[in-house]
Formats: sequence, structure tokens, C-alpha cells
Amino acid sequence: MKGIKGVVSKFYVGICLVFFYLPILVTMIFSFNSSKSLTHFSGFSMRWYGELMENTEIMKAVYVSVTVAILATLISTVLGTLTAIGLSRSKKVLKDAILNMNNIPILNPEIVTAIGLMILFTSLGIRKGYFTMLMAHIVFCTPYVITSVYPKVRNLDPNLANAAMDLGATPFQALTKVIIPMIKEGIFAGALLAFTMSFDDFVISYFVSGNGVKNISIIVYNMTKRINPTINALSTIVIVVIVGVMVFVNFLPKIQKKLLKVSKALKRAVAAGCVVILAFLLVCCGNLSMGGTRILKVYNAGEYIDLALVEQFEKEYQCTVIYETFESNEMMYTKLSSGETYDILIPSDYMIERLIKEEYLQPLDWDLIPNKKNLLPDVMNRSYDTGNRYSAPYFWGTVGILYDTAKVDEKDLEDGWELLCNPKYAGDIYMYDSERDSFMVALKALGYSMNTTDQKEIEAAYQWLIEQRETMDPIYAGDDVIDNMISGNKAMAVIYSGDACYIMSENPDMNYFTPSEGTNIWYDAMVLTRDCSNVELAHEFINFMLDEKSALANTQEVGYSSTVDSAFETMKNEDYKGVDAYVPDVENENNEIFGYQKPEIKQRYSELWTKVKAQ
Amino acid sequence: MKQFRRLAIPYCVWGIFLILLPLLMIAFYAVTKEGNAVMTWYFTGENFAKFLEATYLSVILKSFRLGLACTLICLLIAYPLAMIIIKFDEKWQTFLIMLVTIPEWINLLLRTYAWMNLLADNGIINQMLQALGLSPITMMYTDFSVILGLVCNFLPFMIIPIHTSLSKMDKSLIEAAHDLGANEFQTFTKVIWKLSIPGVLNGIMMVFLLSISTFVIPKLLGGGQYMLIGNLIESQFISVGDWNFGSAISLILAAIILLFMHWMKKIDKDEKE
Repeated sequence: MKGIKGVVSKFYVGICLVFFYLPILVTMIFSFNSSKSLTHFSGFSMRWYGELMENTEIMKAVYVSVTVAILATLISTVLGTLTAIGLSRSKKVLKDAILNMNNIPILNPEIVTAIGLMILFTSLGIRKGYFTMLMAHIVFCTPYVITSVYPKVRNLDPNLANAAMDLGATPFQALTKVIIPMIKEGIFAGALLAFTMSFDDFVISYFVSGNGVKNISIIVYNMTKRINPTINALSTIVIVVIVGVMVFVNFLPKIQKKLLKVSKALKRAVAAGCVVILAFLLVCCGNLSMGGTRILKVYNAGEYIDLALVEQFEKEYQCTVIYETFESNEMMYTKLSSGETYDILIPSDYMIERLIKEEYLQPLDWDLIPNKKNLLPDVMNRSYDTGNRYSAPYFWGTVGILYDTAKVDEKDLEDGWELLCNPKYAGDIYMYDSERDSFMVALKALGYSMNTTDQKEIEAAYQWLIEQRETMDPIYAGDDVIDNMISGNKAMAVIYSGDACYIMSENPDMNYFTPSEGTNIWYDAMVLTRDCSNVELAHEFINFMLDEKSALANTQEVGYSSTVDSAFETMKNEDYKGVDAYVPDVENENNEIFGYQKPEIKQRYSELWTKVKAQ
Repeated sequence: MKQFRRLAIPYCVWGIFLILLPLLMIAFYAVTKEGNAVMTWYFTGENFAKFLEATYLSVILKSFRLGLACTLICLLIAYPLAMIIIKFDEKWQTFLIMLVTIPEWINLLLRTYAWMNLLADNGIINQMLQALGLSPITMMYTDFSVILGLVCNFLPFMIIPIHTSLSKMDKSLIEAAHDLGANEFQTFTKVIWKLSIPGVLNGIMMVFLLSISTFVIPKLLGGGQYMLIGNLIESQFISVGDWNFGSAISLILAAIILLFMHWMKKIDKDEKE
């Protein structure tokens, strides 16, 4: 290549590589940031690497990702190679049928494969976890091995194996000494592809895993709420390892030449190494399924607990806590109704009401929870569970509008929820991507009850949301709203009070208010499932969380308003002094609690919400 | 050589239970509906009928448009890149292809988060623009951000098959075309392009397949209002809890993709003849 043309083409290659590596570079740079921010670099530090090593949840996920990838690659490579060889000798009808079936996982959208497997495992009653994840990975890896090995086998001269056997080789020898060496390129390519697919998989793992087994992708996906640079540190390490391996593989031929003489010994050493690693993995697998005596399965919203408390509880009560998180109450319900079992759930008011009605829960024995005396009177005996037969309040709060005092005129706040329709702020708004909360905003803005079952009122709220979407162009954000508002990306956001507290502590320009038309005042509470396997331990956990010390640590970590009197007072008067979002407004008579919705009403809301979003 | 035939049996059994059975179960959900206590389920076509509503049709249309746009952009970027890579000597070629594939090893979600930080209203790119005295641009939660995210993630799936088919090409054919008086443009349209079609079709299939069914990238880079068919399926299973409707949409999506693949294969065959 020469002249201008050469320069232009090199420039083009350069641009493309920048495009590929820009996000990776950003990830790497911010893993060394001394502050938590992912957009402002404030100084070099290794602190996130230290935190990564101490974060047992991430380290466990790394272990799951790596072992699942290795095992899935090994199994699918063996299975795929044997199948490819078998197919090349099969009758055409059978061959075509199997190859077509083999194409299904490749051609089918990942999400369809994932859902199919989830339905299968659920209806067969197989416990979701490490085993189901591994099976699913083999399902989608094997077809790639077959597609890369099969063409190589087909191009082989069939007489070769025959010749070997005529010369006295057994079929096994013909396979290992003749056929496999000739197709090893295809096998290697297939194995590499399988490993990549498995290691990076998110969608399928997300649907088929359970019981606290998570791979890196699931951890990252659950981290949206408060992304922190520990995960950047992890990916930096992954990048360095991969580049190292690539370089090694590229230089391997040169090294091999030098080692030619000792190659036999080397091969044996490699084989022995593989066996040792496999044995080690299997032993670890055994450990992962845990031999601990008492086990408690807790299912809570993401980033909604001080994990140090869980560890402390495990130590004090000599038990193992399997801690899992969900994104929304609805997701929790889906998992629960698809046959997953838990001991303790921490859902919201309306969901608790639904679970009670559908008999998923069992009553609490308050005699086993002496810390009941610590609870605020304001959080007890609410409409979703009068008399607190089933639920022990965990956190509470309101939904309101968080606004940037530098961008929003205080006078405009008088509009209440209609502020979200003020054309001054068009394109500058985050709504919350949640069916019930969005309808709550619309219904309250129109002066209706947020629990209405009146079709006309629901229709009016739907029209309000449609119109708001058209004129204001809002973003329906999930938990990413937290990071966005901390960096001040938009002027206002509909938000939970607890998240508002956290954002306000990170960005002093932000302020929070709840409109006078009323809002959702909500309670999240700990409940016991009907199938709870260890009722005593579950009560101990609830009592532990309501202890004054642990409640304070919890609210300090999470930022949501505590239901324990002393912790609430300490936060109100010290840590969050002046942050009014921390104190839920119990005076406003227009505030309501979400109530149970009958299935047909719920379906109506869901359909309308899908339509608002899909518009 | 019949002794090796038996080697395909385990996978046959495996496939029936773990590939075909799940699909049948989805199909079963799609044509049924939960009933009352007496009849726990009944057959119905309403899950499919529901899909014919304008809102849902617009979702599929949007997914299609996005999938096509993404595929086209990938092709436009990847083809010249593959052409350039092929001109380097072999060592450089392997190195460049390696550089293209390495990002695929980094978690897709992480790369997407990095884009979110780059593109945000107060993000890294806008900070740089402001430092240069330019006014910031809104990039997040738009078609731009979603397409950018998709292209960045799926581009390697277009580059590699095109590169493979170009590198298989017999170089003397190009020389022959030149010797016979064809100019650069003619050589490209009549020789190079024609010979690379299998790779191009392969790339188109991969990228289109991936981009039409994705749900994570649009959700993160486009926001909740960016509803594609993948998001619709996910929401039916995860938040709405209507598995029957979700299964019906899954089947429709699978059917669309199979039709598309069939059509692509037909083009491939016609080209060869």
C-alpha cells in the first residue's frame, strides 16, 4: 500500500478501532478513578481493585462465569465433535433432520431460547441454579461447535479411517489418531466460539438461573442502581488476561518449535494439568451447593440492604443466607409463581396484599420478634396488612419529583404533578419506568384516586400519559435515573424518596418535593413464605434487621427511610439533616397506599402501559 | 464406516429434550390461555389476535426498521474495512482480525454502560465539546444512541464473514480482470463483490438476527420508551406476567426470522446459479 490511498485506508482502520475500543478504554480509565464517578476523573487510585477483592458476591460470580464457561466448552466440544463425525456417516434424511434441529438455537432469538428453557426447567420442577445454567449453556454452545466442525469432517476422505482400520487400528484409534487430528482446526475454532458465547452470555443465564447463582453479566445487570467502578476494575482485569492469552497463543508456535524435543512431556503435563483443574472445579462445585447446616433464602429488591449485615447475621446465627435480588415486585411475583421457593421476601405493600390473598404467605409469630418495640407507630397497621399479621415493615417512603434547583423555577412547583407537563421543561424529564407509579402520577394529577377501578378515570389517565409523552418527550428511565440525576443530566425526575436522599447527598443542587395533590406513600416489608423451610431462623432474621444498630447501618447504606424509630431519628437529625426527602409526608390526606388490583383491572393497566411505552 | 454413526445418537436425544421440547412448550403456551378453577386452561387464538392491534404492529415495524438500519450501517462500515484488511500481509491480517474480536470478550453490558457514560447529557463527549467551546448535544435515549450501541456490538459479526470470503478469493481473478481491461470500479462490481456475496449474506443474517431480537441495549441506551419486540417479550414474561401472550410474540418473532433466513438462502442459491 502506498500514497494517499494507503494513508486513507490506515486512517479508516484507525477510526474503526477507536470506535471499538473507546468504551473499553473508558472502562479501563475509570477503574483507576479515585472517586465513585464514572464521568469525572478526579485522580489515580487502586481503591476499586481492593474493593473488588473484598467483594465476595463479585468473586463468586467470576467463579461461576469461568467454571460454567470451561465446563460448557469442554462438554459441548466433545458432544459437538462426536455428533459431527457421526453425522457425516449418517443417512441423508437423519442428517438433514439433525442439522436443521441444530440450527434452531443459532437462528432462534436468544430470548426465545431462554424462555423455552425457563419454561422447561420450571415445569419439570428442576431447581434453578448452577446446573440449569450449565445445561442451558451447553444447549446454545454445542450448535456452534457442530457448525464449525461438520464442514471439516465432510471434506475428509472417508477412506482414511477405513485404511487405518484395515491396517489394524480399532475404531477408537481411528477416531483419535486419524480423524480428530485432521479436523482439529475446526474443533479449536468451535471451542473458542463456545467459550466466548458462554463467558459473555447474559440473556439466557438471566432467565434460567436462580437460587443465588449469578454470573458476571447478571451481577452487572443488577448493578444499574449504583454502578460503581469495582466492576470496571474487574473488566480491566478480564481485558488484560484476554490480551495476554491472545499474545501467548500467537507466540505459541515459536515457543513450540523450541520445545519440540520435550513436546511429549509437555503434552502429558498439559493433560495432567487439565485433569487437575477439572477435579478442582468439580470439588468446588460441590462446595458451591453448600453443606451448611441452616439455610435461609432471602429475596429482596436490588441494592436494598447493607450486605455486611447479611454476613454478620450468618456469623452470629451460624447459618448460610442465600441472598437474591429482583428488579421489581412484578419480577419477584413471576419468579415466585414459576415455582421458585424462598423463605423471606421483601416486597411492597400492594404486592404483599396480593400475596396474602393468593395464599403465598404465612402469618408472623410476633412473640419471636422482640424488636417489634423498636418500630415507628407510623409504619404499623397499614391498609395492606391490618394488624401486621404477615409483614414486618422494612423501609418506607413516598414518590415525588426530584428537581435541579439551578434549572427549575421554584414558582413552577405550585403546579404539582402538572409540572411534568410544563412545556418549559420539555425533553428535560425522567419518568419512572413502572406501570403503577406512572399511572399514579397521571391519576393524581387529574385528581382521582390512584387505586381507581373506574374505566373512565383509567382511560383519562392513559390519555394524560399519552399526551405527556407527545408534548414533553420524557425518558422512561429505570434505576439509571440515579446516576443520571447525580450528574445533573436533566432538570427533573419522578423518583422514590430514598433514591432522592442518596442523589441529594451526592449532588447538593437537587431538591425533592411531593405534590399537594397527593402521592403514593409506600411500605416495603419482610414477609414469610408459605413454604418457608426454617421458620425459626426466618424470625431471627427479621428480628435482627429490626435491631436498632443493624437498622441504622442499613438505612445509612441504602438511603431509604428506616422503619425503626431510633435509626429514623438519628438519620433525620444527623446524617440527612435538612434532606426532607428522608421524612415521608404523613400529614397530607391525599396520600394513598397502593391497593390490591383484581386480575382484570391489573391486566387493563398493563395493556395501557405497554401501549404508552410502545407508542 | 457405519460404526461412527452411533456417535450422533446422544445429541439426537439431547436435542429432542432441550431444543424441540422447549419450543413445543412455548407453542403450547401461545395457543392456550389460563382459565378458571374448573378448566385450568383452554385453547384459544386470542394471543395471536391481540398482536394485530396497531400498537403491537408498530412495535414490530420499529424493530424491523431498526434491524435493517443497523444491518445496513454495519455493512457499509464493514465492507471497506474488510477490503482494507485483506491488503495487509498475513501477519497483520491475523492481528487486525484479533483486534476486531477482542472487544466481544468484554461483557456486553459493561461496554454498553461505558457508552452511556460517553453519551450522557453531561457525559464525557459533551464535556469535551464544552471544553472546546461547542454546545453540548443530546445523544442518549435517541435512535442515534441505540443504533450506535448495536453497531458497535454487532460489527464484528459482519466484518469476519466478509473478510473470510474475501480471503478465500483467488487473487489471480482480479489480475485477470485487470488484464482484460476492466478498471477498478468494474473489477469491484463484476468480480470482487460477486465473489464476496456468500460472506455478505452471512454477515447480514447474523447482524439482522441479533439486532431484531435484542432487548438489553435498547433498554439501556434508549430508555423505557424505546420498545422493540425483544423488550415486549421480556416485559410480558418479567413484569406483566402474561406468559401466553409473551409466548405468542416469541413464536411470531421466530417465524419472521426463519422466513428471513429462508429468503436469504434462496438469494444465495440464485447467485450461485
